[in-house]
Amino acid sequence: MLEEALEHLVKGIVEHPDEIQVRARRIRSGRVLEVRVHPEDLGKVIGRGGRTAKALRTVVNALGDGKYVRVDLLDLDEVR
Amino acid sequence: MTEAQQETASKAAPDLAALEQEGEIAADYLEGLLDIADIDGDIDMDVEGDRAVVSVVDIKGGDLVGANGEVLEALQELTRLAVHRQTGERSRLMLDIGGYRDRRRTELKELGTKVAADVKRSGEPKALRPMTPFERKIVHDAVAAAGLRSESEGEEPRRFVVVLPA
Repeated sequence: MLEEALEHLVKGIVEHPDEIQVRARRIRSGRVLEVRVHPEDLGKVIGRGGRTAKALRTVVNALGDGKYVRVDLLDLDEVR
Repeated sequence: MTEAQQETASKAAPDLAALEQEGEIAADYLEGLLDIADIDGDIDMDVEGDRAVVSVVDIKGGDLVGANGEVLEALQELTRLAVHRQTGERSRLMLDIGGYRDRRRTELKELGTKVAADVKRSGEPKALRPMTPFERKIVHDAVAAAGLRSESEGEEPRRFVVVLPA
């Protein structure tokens, strides 16, 4: 559900809503949701001073089960 | 035209249709989220003065307000961006969830009135804890209504109100 919620939240605020990928990964310390957006939208989802990124993290964690979920924002071409 | 006059002009004629459209976009965005998160709730739309107000009411499940309203503020921020993306205009839309803002308004009005009375008595300025812009505005108004002045100091998100003696 969290992946879907995050995708919805991001889709509504970017210029290229069809170019979003959300992937859930497990790491030792918990869960990570990795959102990839069109390179032109990366600034938009991060926001001035990281304001939008912070808002996305706050809402996603409020919807979760109380265990911290990390949200990473990347552009589609970024390799990791 | 001076800035003050512009302010008056824009206040005199809020574009009702544009504000209603803001409400519609916001309601769609929020409804989508509630559906995905399986949270029941109704969405009310209204226009107060020169801004659109969208309220999620009768909520069952989930905590979309959070400690000190931080989730509500985050959701408002995202909703404004969603409106901006579709209209191209910056939105000042206000989001409320489960009547939180009304409750805070009442509490903060009482706080502002009480602190103003304390400061009048002591003659010493008094600093309050950090608040959001929405909360500070209510305190400033209550202090002004009590006949004193107040200022905001510090940087967001730790900006706070200081009530000044006469």
